[in-house]
Amino acid sequence: MHKYIAKRLLLLVPLLIGISLVSFFVMHLAPGDPTSLFIDPNVKPEELARVRANWGLDQPVYIQYFIWLKNAVLLDFGRSYTTGQPVIGEIAERLPLTLLLMIPSYILTLLICIPIGVISAVKKNSWFDNTFTILSFAGMAIPTFWLGLMLMLLFSVQFHFLPAVGNIVLPLITMTIGSLAGLTRYQRAAMLEVLNQDFIRTARAKGLPERIVIFKHALRNALIPIVTILGLSLPDLFGGAFIIETIFAWPGMGRLGVQSIFQRNYPVIMGIVMFSALLIVLGNLLADISYALVDPRIRYEKSK
Amino acid sequence: MGYRSLLSFLICSLLLAAAAPAGEIDPEGVLRFSLGGEVSVLNPILSTDTVSSAVEGVIFTGMVTFNESLEPVPDLAKSWDVSSDGKIWTFHLRRDVKWHDGVPLTADDVVFTFNSILDPKVNSVRRSDYIIDGQPIRFKAVDKYTVQAILPKPFAPFLIHAAMSIIPKHLLAGKDINTAAFNRKPVGTGPFIFKEWQTGDHVTVVRNPNYYLGKPLLKEIIYKIIPDENSALVALEAGEIDEAGIPPKDYTRMKAVKGINVYESDVLLYTYLGFNLANPKFTDKRVRQALAYATDKKQLVNLILRGLGTPAYAPSAPISWAYSDRVPKYQYDPEKAKKLLKEAGVKDLEFTILVNQGNKEREKAAVILQQQYKKIGVKVKIRVMEWSAILKIVNANKDPKDFEAVIMGWSLGLDPDGYSIWHSSQYPQGFNFIKYKDPLVDKLLEEGRTTVDKGKRKQIYAKLWKAIAEDQPYVFLWYPKAIAGVNDRVGGLSKPGPAGLFLHIEKVYKKK
Repeated sequence: MHKYIAKRLLLLVPLLIGISLVSFFVMHLAPGDPTSLFIDPNVKPEELARVRANWGLDQPVYIQYFIWLKNAVLLDFGRSYTTGQPVIGEIAERLPLTLLLMIPSYILTLLICIPIGVISAVKKNSWFDNTFTILSFAGMAIPTFWLGLMLMLLFSVQFHFLPAVGNIVLPLITMTIGSLAGLTRYQRAAMLEVLNQDFIRTARAKGLPERIVIFKHALRNALIPIVTILGLSLPDLFGGAFIIETIFAWPGMGRLGVQSIFQRNYPVIMGIVMFSALLIVLGNLLADISYALVDPRIRYEKSK
Repeated sequence: MGYRSLLSFLICSLLLAAAAPAGEIDPEGVLRFSLGGEVSVLNPILSTDTVSSAVEGVIFTGMVTFNESLEPVPDLAKSWDVSSDGKIWTFHLRRDVKWHDGVPLTADDVVFTFNSILDPKVNSVRRSDYIIDGQPIRFKAVDKYTVQAILPKPFAPFLIHAAMSIIPKHLLAGKDINTAAFNRKPVGTGPFIFKEWQTGDHVTVVRNPNYYLGKPLLKEIIYKIIPDENSALVALEAGEIDEAGIPPKDYTRMKAVKGINVYESDVLLYTYLGFNLANPKFTDKRVRQALAYATDKKQLVNLILRGLGTPAYAPSAPISWAYSDRVPKYQYDPEKAKKLLKEAGVKDLEFTILVNQGNKEREKAAVILQQQYKKIGVKVKIRVMEWSAILKIVNANKDPKDFEAVIMGWSLGLDPDGYSIWHSSQYPQGFNFIKYKDPLVDKLLEEGRTTVDKGKRKQIYAKLWKAIAEDQPYVFLWYPKAIAGVNDRVGGLSKPGPAGLFLHIEKVYKKK
């Protein structure tokens, strides 16, 4: 097991280098450069060239990459072109606010979608199921920005109940409603599938009470696909939600990322890419290890 | 004696009452502005975005500032004089100015500011403003309160550039200005003192009781960053912010909202359709004039700006002192357009207009122009691209460039000098990316920027606008209006105009 983990950790190094290499070159393929921001009839092209050179952008891209890599190994990801601040600091400033919004939204989504999905599946085609089916589709069809603005008009302008910007409640509600719809449907489908399996019939035939059949036998199996989907969307937790952050003036990672891309703020883009890449590969590693711990059928030691 | 002092006291209070009704001003007033984007740096020589400049505007001041009509007026410099050859400008500084940390402002700070901009290692794109024909302007402290700028040759727009905000030498000398901690914790000479900056969220400044033009009436200003313009309007309606820009589509609705005053003002901006003159399709002047005749500018203004703008006919703006109305206007006349095209022997003209994604006004303009030009048998294709991608095409250092026509806008400087946009030397590298070349225009542009006398300049620019409009290298489309909504509890505003409602921020107050 230790050997396996050590091997996987070693493999991370070429993987991260590969990711950085591809991202760096793809990023430089996008037309334009960071000095396009300064375009103004009073700024002479030679000034833009001078600033580009100060940033090292006059060098061939592969040399820029090696310089970046050399510094990145020493955990120096450079400074943002627009603010002059270290990239790590820029990310560190945004991350807590992103997590503050994303984690409660994740938890809320789970707390709501699992019971609704389960009840909908158990009472298939009942008024409860039909109501939430319609609500789910409506939830999926409504664009986040519209929902956000409507909530703001209702709670901030009409009732003066909550501030429109800079408060967590409205973005949290919008965020949760947005992810709720899809997950409820998944949970319902997963539960329905499990309920049709033979072992459920067996459990019922044994005369177990319905409550135990559903919660002990069915639900535990029906949660597996949901956990997979949640696991896959884990990077979003750190990536933030651009639209919601924009509408509710919430200074999270999503806005930083999208803004850096439009500004061609290369150091910040690379910082965010590497940070998310690291989270994803570490997350995968953790998942693989926990499979081994949980499921006796999976072993990573060589069998002789 | 007693009687007289009582009388003067009464007169004084009356005068005061006229300026700001006594008892109405909240001494604890907090003004909340909205900013449409992130603040990048709070250092006036580095920042290039309007958002950062808005905050810097209350923290820092320069030697020269601008009045309601955008004319240069004294600020840190109480007066200035120019040598008879127009090369030496002498600025006499106020002696009562202190930095927010209490250190007095001197001529050394001014010289330090301009020398920092000229330092090639400092990432200030303002450097070229202080270089004339390859030679930098020299700045010299004559004594503690006198600064001299020595120009290699007369240069009329210099006074505008002398308005650059001054940064403190005692806090920045010997530091790397690009990355200095100062840029996030600025110290200036303006009416408000920097208090805190929460990244992406807000910047707070507090009243500077020692401000040289008098103690500001507001206690605090909070700049709240709200990137979405609809959200900003909701926040304005909910009373969470005191001011927000209003897009034309919300104009009528916001006018009806109680507690909000809506102000319109003209701005120094114009939108145009520019033709690539290096492309054989547009080399014939008659083709461009035909397209100008086929452009119904009134319809554009009505449909896109809901009437909140005016048709444009020249590369200047009516609010500029150098504007002249005496230019060929090519009023909408599709028949004339068809005739001109026939004369030029052009059949089946077809071209592509580039517009930048996300700019709804320009995207709509492209579609409407497509319809308008269809009426004279000209086929238009529209290509929507990301802003950086368009800039890459028009700024490519090559001849010819890869585009046919583009819808863009220019924000005009306070000085009418249009050298960088129209002079033939500014192609292919420069902002004359349409390859416009006209000997008369070149000559007038050179004359305009080296003549210091305002009356003479006005005549030169009138001729210039006429020559350019005659050629129609651009079809000038419209001047937009800036519309702002302000909470009616805010008082002390300047009259609506290009300089903005908050020109004298120290006189702005919140009502109790």
